[in-house]
Amino acid sequence: MPCNNFQATWTRRDALRATACGFGQLALAALAGERTRAEQPPHAGAPGPNTARFAAPHFAPRAKRILFLFMWGGPSHVDLFDPKPRLNLDAGKQLSGKDVGSDREQLGELLGSPFRFDRHGEGGVWISELFPHLSQHADRLCVVRSLHTEGSAHGEALLRLHTGQANLVRPSVGAWVSYGLGSENDCLPAFMTISPPRGHGGVQNYGSAFLPAMHQAMAIGSAETPIAQAAVSNLGNARLSASQQRDQLDFVQSLNRRHSKSSGIDPQIESLIANYELAFRMQSTMPAIMGIQDESRSTLELYGIGSEPTDNFGRQCLLARKFAEQGVRYIQVSTNYTWDHHQKVQQGSIAEAAKVDRPIAGLISDLAQRGLLEDTLVLWGAEFGRTPMVENGDGRNHHPQAFSVWMAGGGVRGGLTYGATDDFGYRPVENPVHMHDLHATLLYALGIDHERLTYRHAGRDFRLTDVHGNVVREIFA
Amino acid sequence: MLAVLASMMSHAAAGTDDPADPVLGRGHWAFSPLRRDATPMQFALAEWPRSVDDAFILAQLESVGLRPAPDADRRTILRRLHFQLSGLPPVLDDYFDYENDPLPDALERHTDPLLASPRFGERWGRHWFDLARYADSNGLDENFLFREAWRYRNWVIDALNADLPFDRFVTEQIAGDLLPFASTEQRDRQRIAAGFLVIGPKVLLGNDPRQRRMDVADEQLDTIGRVILGQTLGCARCHDHKFDPIPTTDYYAMAGIFTSTQVMMTRYMLGEQRMMERLVGIGEEGDQQNSAYETFWREQPRRKEREKQAKSALELLEKDDESGFTDLAAKHADAVSADAADRGRSKDQRVASQKELLERIRAEIASPPAIPPRGMIPCDEEKPADEAVRLSGQFDRTGDVVPRGFLRVVADSPAAIPEGQSGRLQLACWLTDVQAGAGRLSARVLANRIWYHLFGQGLVRTVDNFGRTGEAPSHPELLDVMAAKLIDGQWSMKMQVRRLVLSRTAAMSSSSGDPQSGRSIDPDNRWYWKADRRRLDPESLRDAIWFAAGELDLARVDSTVAYLGDQATAVGDNKNRRRTDFHCRAVYLPVIRNDLPEIFEAFDFANPHCATGMRPKTVVAPQALFLMNDPSVLAVAEATARRILVIDQYRNDEDRAEFLLASLLNMPNAGPERQELLAFVARLADTGTGDDQERRLRAWALACQALFASGRFQLLD
Repeated sequence: MPCNNFQATWTRRDALRATACGFGQLALAALAGERTRAEQPPHAGAPGPNTARFAAPHFAPRAKRILFLFMWGGPSHVDLFDPKPRLNLDAGKQLSGKDVGSDREQLGELLGSPFRFDRHGEGGVWISELFPHLSQHADRLCVVRSLHTEGSAHGEALLRLHTGQANLVRPSVGAWVSYGLGSENDCLPAFMTISPPRGHGGVQNYGSAFLPAMHQAMAIGSAETPIAQAAVSNLGNARLSASQQRDQLDFVQSLNRRHSKSSGIDPQIESLIANYELAFRMQSTMPAIMGIQDESRSTLELYGIGSEPTDNFGRQCLLARKFAEQGVRYIQVSTNYTWDHHQKVQQGSIAEAAKVDRPIAGLISDLAQRGLLEDTLVLWGAEFGRTPMVENGDGRNHHPQAFSVWMAGGGVRGGLTYGATDDFGYRPVENPVHMHDLHATLLYALGIDHERLTYRHAGRDFRLTDVHGNVVREIFA
Repeated sequence: MLAVLASMMSHAAAGTDDPADPVLGRGHWAFSPLRRDATPMQFALAEWPRSVDDAFILAQLESVGLRPAPDADRRTILRRLHFQLSGLPPVLDDYFDYENDPLPDALERHTDPLLASPRFGERWGRHWFDLARYADSNGLDENFLFREAWRYRNWVIDALNADLPFDRFVTEQIAGDLLPFASTEQRDRQRIAAGFLVIGPKVLLGNDPRQRRMDVADEQLDTIGRVILGQTLGCARCHDHKFDPIPTTDYYAMAGIFTSTQVMMTRYMLGEQRMMERLVGIGEEGDQQNSAYETFWREQPRRKEREKQAKSALELLEKDDESGFTDLAAKHADAVSADAADRGRSKDQRVASQKELLERIRAEIASPPAIPPRGMIPCDEEKPADEAVRLSGQFDRTGDVVPRGFLRVVADSPAAIPEGQSGRLQLACWLTDVQAGAGRLSARVLANRIWYHLFGQGLVRTVDNFGRTGEAPSHPELLDVMAAKLIDGQWSMKMQVRRLVLSRTAAMSSSSGDPQSGRSIDPDNRWYWKADRRRLDPESLRDAIWFAAGELDLARVDSTVAYLGDQATAVGDNKNRRRTDFHCRAVYLPVIRNDLPEIFEAFDFANPHCATGMRPKTVVAPQALFLMNDPSVLAVAEATARRILVIDQYRNDEDRAEFLLASLLNMPNAGPERQELLAFVARLADTGTGDDQERRLRAWALACQALFASGRFQLLD
């Protein structure tokens, strides 16, 4: 029996409600687009909608999964990936609004970056000295320097980063991916989030909103908890041995089967029965995935596990690789809320980069040597960047107007720098990429047309990018 | 599916020119006059119907070649009835009484006490909370606590228990603060009802205030549209509605009413002045208490500054920096005590006096007044005004100003909004005005919701969408007759519920009947040839489990979030998280947006960010894992076992098993199940550690947990 049936009660009615919606051509187009998912209502024992069998990519996919490394708080792009000599020259001077196309006369005093930048690899990607390990993968990275978004407070910006919207509850990117592609794995959801933030939108950032609940992420721990102590809620029962729990479950299932039989094989009860088996299998599978005992010493070292300050993020990244191996479609790893350097941006960036540099480099190496990097798109980024202007003497404020992210693997052109900001890193001046564009591009990498991945809810079709989004095709090889 | 599509397309074709045209739109079934006098078509099974509702159901069934399922047995009917009206199971005595009641009005006599019980308001209030997007926190970006939301929650429960007529129920929630009152108590009650407008989620940080103003109005309008009118008004914010007769001008005519309403205010919180939900003191002294409280916090930064300066002054004194001290005293006279400034005194005296002042300031800082009793209450803006259309929904692109008003698809009559008023009171009346307003539509929407809660699917299955993209009613005449009965019955919701639970339709069995033809002719049970088997919602599931253990306290509860700080979620240094270990009914548990109680999160609780008329029905692994492993379930299962082993006296394990099966699963005298249960207990009691008693307790606890996890417990047959 397949156990990918995360929502076995997907009835014909649900399918109808969700998909057959618009009028005339619209309706026909939607119907055609949805056919793969909608037309085959699963019943007990048959594959559910959450299976790769239903995946019908709109384009040839470049990646099978996305692994998002989320730096909560907002790293300073001008200190990490977007060197600005002019910023250093003009440090201490006022940034005039007219220099960067702002209405305001003066934007604040510029703060130079103390860090050395070098060009790395054949592509000559600029990376600051804070990422020595990552720099060795420079020819695998595509750095996008022209990302921009809305929301100058964390909460709004996190929601926009994760769901595309802030004032309405919308499905998370990972939930859309799960809905679009289903899971490749029999025992795991298609969307896993490792150490997600509890604040700034909390579960909304990995929720399924109006999409069926099976598309929400399974959360492992939370940002505040070291991953070594984290667990999926209720995935085990310390009071019982596995055989005792199986015995108990057998009793439950026997009651359920009698119940179903007395009702002439009721699909609702049958789906309950299947669901218990799925849960039991998940609970038996997860400990092995969560543990690190099967990993070689050299692998652990690669991720910086066992040494500080890299142990925690190293474990998170290793877990992410295991989920990638298991065919999870969308994996997010979050740091704690530690990148928000309103003061001491220099010391803060040094400390935070040191925690993630080696683990990330290790993750990329490990994915590559296992042959997973070619179909895993790794994305590094945050809700926004930080101001070129100083705050509190030695810090930087939130800056959604321009910031950097990078991608690797998954068909992305390595050694590429895409887009550019002005002389101060204040605003994009070349190939701006809005958050909606990034979302559209992520879906594109998976073979999904962001305009055609829709879900009918409350009388209209919704999509991740609302009415926006342009795919940045240039970053793909 | 193709048939539906075809009918939808022909529908679209019928509204050829402009779907948003309000006059053309009047032909849509939801806006048309009620067919009050509709009578059911012919039917043969004359002895079956008990009510006019039944007659419509039967006639339709017979017309498609189906027969209604036989009645369920009395025990099954009673279990349904109890869960539907109270959210709790019957106890064994209830089963016994009803099963052995020989009188013809047995069902009535078992129904009426349930309708009269305070449990009714808790149960049906919860249905309303799904629609009202009730929550104890703001959610979205900044999840601040709604410390006073519980007052609105309890108002709703009281209103349903009192069977407040629905038109009044709506009016108070939309304009309660504008209604006349005879006492402070009545004033407060009505104001608290209007908290309905205030409890919506709002983006609190980082957006333009002009944007926020439009977003807040949109949220209110969208909620009211879906909840009361079954219309997706929000679609008309950016453009004329693409499917329904709602032009953008109508949207902004209504939006003007809400932009003329205040639901937010600037308050001092977490160290700064913020735009927060509007709070007003309640009770005779409410205003003074509230203003004293707010004043204290407004002045707190000044006090802290004074403390800082007083501390510096003390340090300067101690190190004999007389000139520094004099400078400081000149700038911050209030931070230096008179004696300290008196150079004629000894240093010790001056220091002591300054220390005393510093302590006094610190004591003041540390002793804020208690939080006064307050409610989340809206009010009209000082200068209510009409709103301009926003082009493409963008707050800063204004088009023509449109006079405030209502949906023109309902009636042409313009809104008569007196100068200086927002128009909320007029809107509230219009919503349920059967003659000149949207009363017919509202009655249809409400009748359908009540039907949905009792039968598991609405006659209009898209319960929140009566527009053209929603579904048409399966039994249009029945819907109209029910709506008319609601109106004629002074909008009594209890009367409607009562009539339907006493109907023959409600008595049908879920498992027998005519499965062959039923499943082939009507697999979705659209014509109600049997009862739909339904899963307990998380509130009923949780309450039933706690009830079985004797751990449920039925007392009414006020706040269950008072121990939380202003941050409703445990973020960063704030370790303070909502608790779920209360023994009260689930309806009183904290509803923190984005941090719901685990059982709510797992079992398809309504997303409290938006109006939800129909909860999703999923079967997902976290549900099974919750029942298998959650520590709270294990604890309550053990309490249940302790109860049957220690507290209640049974002669033997046979009796214990019989009690559990009969009371939890409604399965008296179930031989095979009983044997299995006993065998399971015997097996488990033989394994593991501990003495005999401990092993027995554990074995019974596991058995009870297994019963909770079973379909018989979780489903309403």
